[in-house]
Amino acid sequence: MEETIQAFLFFWAPGAIMVFGGLMFLFSKSKTVGRIGQFLVVLGLLSLLLTPWTIPFSPSSSFGHFIGSILGPTALLTVGLYNLAFSGNVPVGRLSNSERRSGVLMIVLAVIWFEGMHWWILTPTYPNEVNHYWFIFWATTLLVSSGLAAGAILLTRQVGVNRAQEQRLLALLLVMLLILVLLGFVVDGPHVKSERFAHEVWLAGADVFGMLVGFSIAVFMFAFVIAFYESQLPEPKQLAPPSDEEMKHAAGILSAHVMGGDDDE
Amino acid sequence: MNDDTPQASFLSLLVGFLLFPLGICAIALAMHDDITNGTFKRFANSLITSYTIASFLLLFSLFIYGDKRKRPVAPLVGMLGAALVGVMISFILLSQGDMLMEANGSARAQALSNIIRFSTTLIALGLSVLLVGGIAFASLMNGPVKEHIFEEE
Repeated sequence: MEETIQAFLFFWAPGAIMVFGGLMFLFSKSKTVGRIGQFLVVLGLLSLLLTPWTIPFSPSSSFGHFIGSILGPTALLTVGLYNLAFSGNVPVGRLSNSERRSGVLMIVLAVIWFEGMHWWILTPTYPNEVNHYWFIFWATTLLVSSGLAAGAILLTRQVGVNRAQEQRLLALLLVMLLILVLLGFVVDGPHVKSERFAHEVWLAGADVFGMLVGFSIAVFMFAFVIAFYESQLPEPKQLAPPSDEEMKHAAGILSAHVMGGDDDE
Repeated sequence: MNDDTPQASFLSLLVGFLLFPLGICAIALAMHDDITNGTFKRFANSLITSYTIASFLLLFSLFIYGDKRKRPVAPLVGMLGAALVGVMISFILLSQGDMLMEANGSARAQALSNIIRFSTTLIALGLSVLLVGGIAFASLMNGPVKEHIFEEE
């Protein structure tokens, strides 16, 4: 089979199926359609994860390798945060203290795992060099997380009441992220050179701002299309003014209610 | 709670979100002066890719809008046109030689590479939201229980 057809069958078609399944799951009101959507997402994800074996000749297989590399720490982080959040002051379905401790452990392990990719031997390497998509992912994650943490601190200051604890925790996260970024700019990792990391952070900034502008233009176009369509709709049909008889009928109903009925009604 | 208007709150949130990444990029530039090559290409490729993909996603959301409006065709056609303009502009710009081409052999390869990079950035954005949102939410849930939310009259 030709290489482009294989790449289409094992990478692009499953990717499209995954997106389509996700949209079905998110937007469908039917439970059956939602389940089919979930199944399609899992199927597409599995096919993407297998691309280093199914289409090793294609550059797209690096993306499958990247997804496989971050799947473990991302799952640990998600489950850890879930356990930590829902072992707190939750009125229904509160998790136990042991689940809370396991949540904290999972978050710590996830952070160590992610850091091990930058500073230790865990860097995703495919086939013989550091996976390019991991570079983009790591630089963007650090950049956007610091922006979001700063934004969240300001948000809790603006709209929160007695949220000093949240602000302190978010400030701690922000400082940790800044230290990690600055360390990355200065110190070379075993596979990640400081200059390459700085270059990727700079390009991640270009990526994120380009994405923000692109999204904004698309939303503006969407609003324009809807507003234009709504402005073209004909005016709703005007009703004739009420006749004297209808006015008298309405006046009768009004006066009956304004005058009041019996007290024991 | 602060007495600022919602617009002022939103503005300060936006400034907070944009200033830190900009500051980090400025530090990167100050420490390593040879990192700006390929910036415009990345920005432009990201812009046209996100515009095109977002237009198609918004086109999909018009089906939900259609449920409440007797399924009109005109907005669907309008949004499809907007999305196709994005596709056309992408291929026209990518075909202009070296202007937006990175390390890819053809315009099609560059467009496909843009889509994968867009997905990677989207995954990074998702993880960032999970990290910051999750920590803020976990902190909220684990804080002391507030007995009185409103002052007694």
